[in-house]
Amino acid sequence: MPFLPTPAAAEASLWAIILFPLAGALFNGLFGRRLGKANVTLVAIGAMVGSLAVAVIAFSWVLTTRNLRFVGDPWINVVGADGRALLTVAWGLLVDRLSGTLLLVITGVGTLIHVYSASYMSHEDDAGYARFFTYLNLFVAAMLTLVLGDSLLLTFVGWEGVGLCSYLLIGFWFTDEQKAQAGRKAFITNRVGDFGFLIGVFSLLALFGTSSYAELANLARVVTPEAVIGTGIFAGWTWQAAVTFAMLCLFVGAAGKSAQLPLYIWLPDAMAGPTPVSALIHAATMVTAGVYLVARNSMLFTLAPAAMATVTIVGAATALFAAVIAFVQTDIKKVLAYSTVSQLGFMFIGVGCGAWWAGILHLVTHAFFKACLFLGAGSVMHGMGDETDIRKMGGLAGKMPHTHWTFLLATIAATGIIPLSGFWSKDAILGNALYSSNPAWHSVGPIAWGIGSVAALGTAFYMTRLYWLTFQGKPRTHAAEHAHESSFAMTIPLMVLAVLAAVALILGLPGHTAVSELFSHFIEPVFAPGTERLFSEKVGHFHAVAHPPWPYFAAWGLAAVGTWIGWTLYKGGLGGTVARWAQAWPRTYALMVDKFRVDELYEATVIGPLKSLARGLWRFVDVAVIDGLFVNGIPRLLGFLGGTLRLAQNGDIQRYAALMALAAAAILWTVLGAGSQ
Amino acid sequence: MNLLTVVTFVPLLGALAAALLPRDEAGQHRALALVVSLITLGLSLGLWFGFDASSGAAEFQFEERRAWMPSLGIGYHVGLDGVALLLVMLTTLLVPVVVLSTWAAVQDRVKEFMIAILVLETAMIGTFAALDLVLFYVFWELMLIPMYLLIGIWGGSNRLYATVKFFVYTFAASVLMLLAILWVSFNAGGTFDYVQARAALDVSTEQGRWLFLAFALAFAVKVPMFPLHTWLPDAHTEAPTAGSVILAGVLLKMGTFGFFRYAMPLFPEAALHYRPLISTLATIGIVYGALMCFVQTDMKRLVAYSSVSHLGFVMLGLMALSAEGLTGGVYQMLNHGVSTGGLFLLVGMLYERRHTRLLSDYGGLAKQVPWLATAFVVVTLSSIGLPGTNGFVGEFLILSGTFLSRMPGAQVLSVVAASGVILGAVYMLVLVEKVFYGPIRHEENRHLPDLSLREGLVMVPVIGFIVVMGLMPGPFLAPAKPAVDRLVQRFQQAEARLGLPTQVGTVSTAVASRPPPPPGGAN
Repeated sequence: MPFLPTPAAAEASLWAIILFPLAGALFNGLFGRRLGKANVTLVAIGAMVGSLAVAVIAFSWVLTTRNLRFVGDPWINVVGADGRALLTVAWGLLVDRLSGTLLLVITGVGTLIHVYSASYMSHEDDAGYARFFTYLNLFVAAMLTLVLGDSLLLTFVGWEGVGLCSYLLIGFWFTDEQKAQAGRKAFITNRVGDFGFLIGVFSLLALFGTSSYAELANLARVVTPEAVIGTGIFAGWTWQAAVTFAMLCLFVGAAGKSAQLPLYIWLPDAMAGPTPVSALIHAATMVTAGVYLVARNSMLFTLAPAAMATVTIVGAATALFAAVIAFVQTDIKKVLAYSTVSQLGFMFIGVGCGAWWAGILHLVTHAFFKACLFLGAGSVMHGMGDETDIRKMGGLAGKMPHTHWTFLLATIAATGIIPLSGFWSKDAILGNALYSSNPAWHSVGPIAWGIGSVAALGTAFYMTRLYWLTFQGKPRTHAAEHAHESSFAMTIPLMVLAVLAAVALILGLPGHTAVSELFSHFIEPVFAPGTERLFSEKVGHFHAVAHPPWPYFAAWGLAAVGTWIGWTLYKGGLGGTVARWAQAWPRTYALMVDKFRVDELYEATVIGPLKSLARGLWRFVDVAVIDGLFVNGIPRLLGFLGGTLRLAQNGDIQRYAALMALAAAAILWTVLGAGSQ
Repeated sequence: MNLLTVVTFVPLLGALAAALLPRDEAGQHRALALVVSLITLGLSLGLWFGFDASSGAAEFQFEERRAWMPSLGIGYHVGLDGVALLLVMLTTLLVPVVVLSTWAAVQDRVKEFMIAILVLETAMIGTFAALDLVLFYVFWELMLIPMYLLIGIWGGSNRLYATVKFFVYTFAASVLMLLAILWVSFNAGGTFDYVQARAALDVSTEQGRWLFLAFALAFAVKVPMFPLHTWLPDAHTEAPTAGSVILAGVLLKMGTFGFFRYAMPLFPEAALHYRPLISTLATIGIVYGALMCFVQTDMKRLVAYSSVSHLGFVMLGLMALSAEGLTGGVYQMLNHGVSTGGLFLLVGMLYERRHTRLLSDYGGLAKQVPWLATAFVVVTLSSIGLPGTNGFVGEFLILSGTFLSRMPGAQVLSVVAASGVILGAVYMLVLVEKVFYGPIRHEENRHLPDLSLREGLVMVPVIGFIVVMGLMPGPFLAPAKPAVDRLVQRFQQAEARLGLPTQVGTVSTAVASRPPPPPGGAN
């Protein structure tokens, strides 16, 4: 290394990884609109390259020597009168093999997407262009904080930060009301998840008194799951129950960020943002944060088998559910969005059944092939004049050769056809799920394997359909006939990603050769304590064996069958068998096209009632009772009483005299008449 | 001369000077008010840097005692603890910002306006500084008069209803407090000195509860706590921008400060008794205020209801009686002053451009006024507690402090209150969306000017504090610590006197002790 020659020097400069893009965002945000696009591009990409460079050096130290840790000054620190400091959060960073892997993905894919965006967004005016790169740099800074933070709370800082950038970028073209609303929907759905995250953190604070990953792992190591807690909020609970509660709360956060059932609804709408954003945020990095969160807390999750079972089954259900919706979508980005939701489901199966490395490997390979697919979709849209409807495409293979072959490679990787990367990572997940056993629900692994296999079949089907309708067949519209290839600034990132999607296969190769299970061996130390607990006989909860090869062949067969079905149904373009099916079952078809009307369900059961409640409370409590009855009612009552009594004092001397006479008579009569007796 | 006294009365001197200036010279009045408020700010920095926040330092610093009406036991006694210091700083910081923000907005009776603002500043600082119950009450009521005039003279179309409502609500409750103050003095050896009375106060349980309620009522109206909040939306909506900013920024804190300084430490047993009620009302206020924001069509009214929600957080934090919750409550007072003050400033700027507060008259402004929109979004993020802004530190401390409180049922309250974080995001983002996003629906909105230099200067300190307090809360948390610790200990003593099971303080964690620092970075 020419500079940062020691691990200590690399540790001291860890913050540079985050501060580079943050400074880029600040600079472009403040001055970008005046500087012109070229300078904005230079600053934004320069910041990314700087960040990538430091990240690579840091990673190389992790690979060769040891983990890097930056011990930061306290950010929030509250010490009680008794000297205890439960809430101590430091600006500390940690690069181990897990965060190092994600670090490379974020800065690497991030840099590529910045390059791509420079061309893709060039039609924006200066202000818009600067704003875009401001947000994009800010996003990278937040995402890096999420991954590098050494405590749950610092992760939460990045967690909400990426949510903010996602909001700003989805609503980037905010003059379109629907796009602005999509951004808000994303933020608020994520906030629902963040609510769970916070409660989870509070619970962990109550249990362990810390939110630092290292301290949590240390403490979790010595916990006996069956022991009953003696003090504090969870007194009387077993450790297993309490940790399960906390982990389920954290998983609510993960499900929000990673678009799992039932909080996935924001991600398809998030496609309203510019396509590079969909590639970077809504495919490669941010949406995988939930998977990272579960993997990062593997030590705690192993104490909570029920939480792991929940993660597994939610992942499996989401994988299948989203795949089914993807069958009938006609918007190229929507298909990819549902595909992302589905693939994230696979990752959760992996981390849920204890195959942490497989989940993370799929995260990495997915980042490559899905970013490539999204950027390819962007290239197609560019060439087609912002057309996103695949029914209006077709035959683009000849018009856009570079986009075509990269998209094809990425499709094969996503489909899970041997030998590209997606196959190995997905199969590692499914194979491990099949042979895992969870004490809270013994058959959850095999069930997830079954559901996941069907979802894998579906993946092959919709990816083939997407590829075929877009690139093969005859052009179906004028625009498709005259589509043009995009610039090299856009196609070169595509090529790099496609090649990565292909060569990443080396990370997941099984067997017993020198390069077998490269990634598994590499990342194993991070999960070792968790895995130890899974396998330890003392706990005896999980078992997993080196599984026989037949699941590999089964998975391959499924991918082939799915591809074959897709090819058979769509080789003739639209119409044909599929159209007849749609006519034969119009309601089912409409339900699928309408995405099972989940948004409508939420509107009817949550959003609508909440609005009505607010309106009702406002009219009844504030306006009618508090203000009407009391605040204005009491003065009115007093006014009424005063008005009534005033009748007796109207200033009329004669009436006063008459009253006086009457009163005098009454008094006299009482005193004399009654007194004389 | 005592610095605190100087800081308190410099604005009043400025007001006297303004009274001598000719009425027609509006520019001179503005400049005078700005200079005086800046001098006050500069002097108050002496307080900030002179304050000793170490645990061994005196409870009240910059103390001054003078005889005022010795035969009645009334004295001029001022002094600051850390919490009062923070609130004084908030006041001296906000007033110059407010004066600068009125430069163009107030054209009518500038002289009287500036005098009212300066008198108000003295009253506000005096309220935080007072350590004599009568002195406190005098300053407390003195605040009402300029505020009443600000709304009543420079307010909107329905200002009369709003001023009367504001005045009657707060005055009626304050009168009860005056009775309670007299009662306290009778039962504390005839002194009105806060420190002496607090030590000497000897009342029965029953009396203590009544007295607590009398104080609490006055403060709860000011906070305002549900269901005593309905004066606030009217007052805010009708008040001029400057009035709204001071009202939200400082005056509402009088209520929470009153709880922290008077109601809670004077009557800890009674406070413990009513704690479930108050914390429940606070939680209701959080959710209720947020829900009310959903249905508002008037920007100022919406921001006013959001205050009800935010101040609910403060009260919940105070009632948690854990170091984390109390600290968070104090911090959230400052946050609310900065963020909601900032929101009212921005709404005022929009109003100056369009002369309407109705959401439906806006839409699509972000392209026209990008810097204004950016400032608005930043302040919004602070309001919804995004990490990195001041709002997060406060909300996080309050929610975790409540979750970790020993109060029975605190966890439920914390979880319900945390849902306010979701609701807060909903209404604030809807507000941003309706004002700045979407297509332009009204032609008038097409050619609005962006922030002027002066308006930029108004917003810079607001945004600066949002970021600095979000990233470096340490210097702002430190002064509060001794006061918070003292309050916790006071309650622990009260609890011991009552023989109750422990309900004060932070829970003990399930693991007995923190682990040794993790081993070095090796895999």
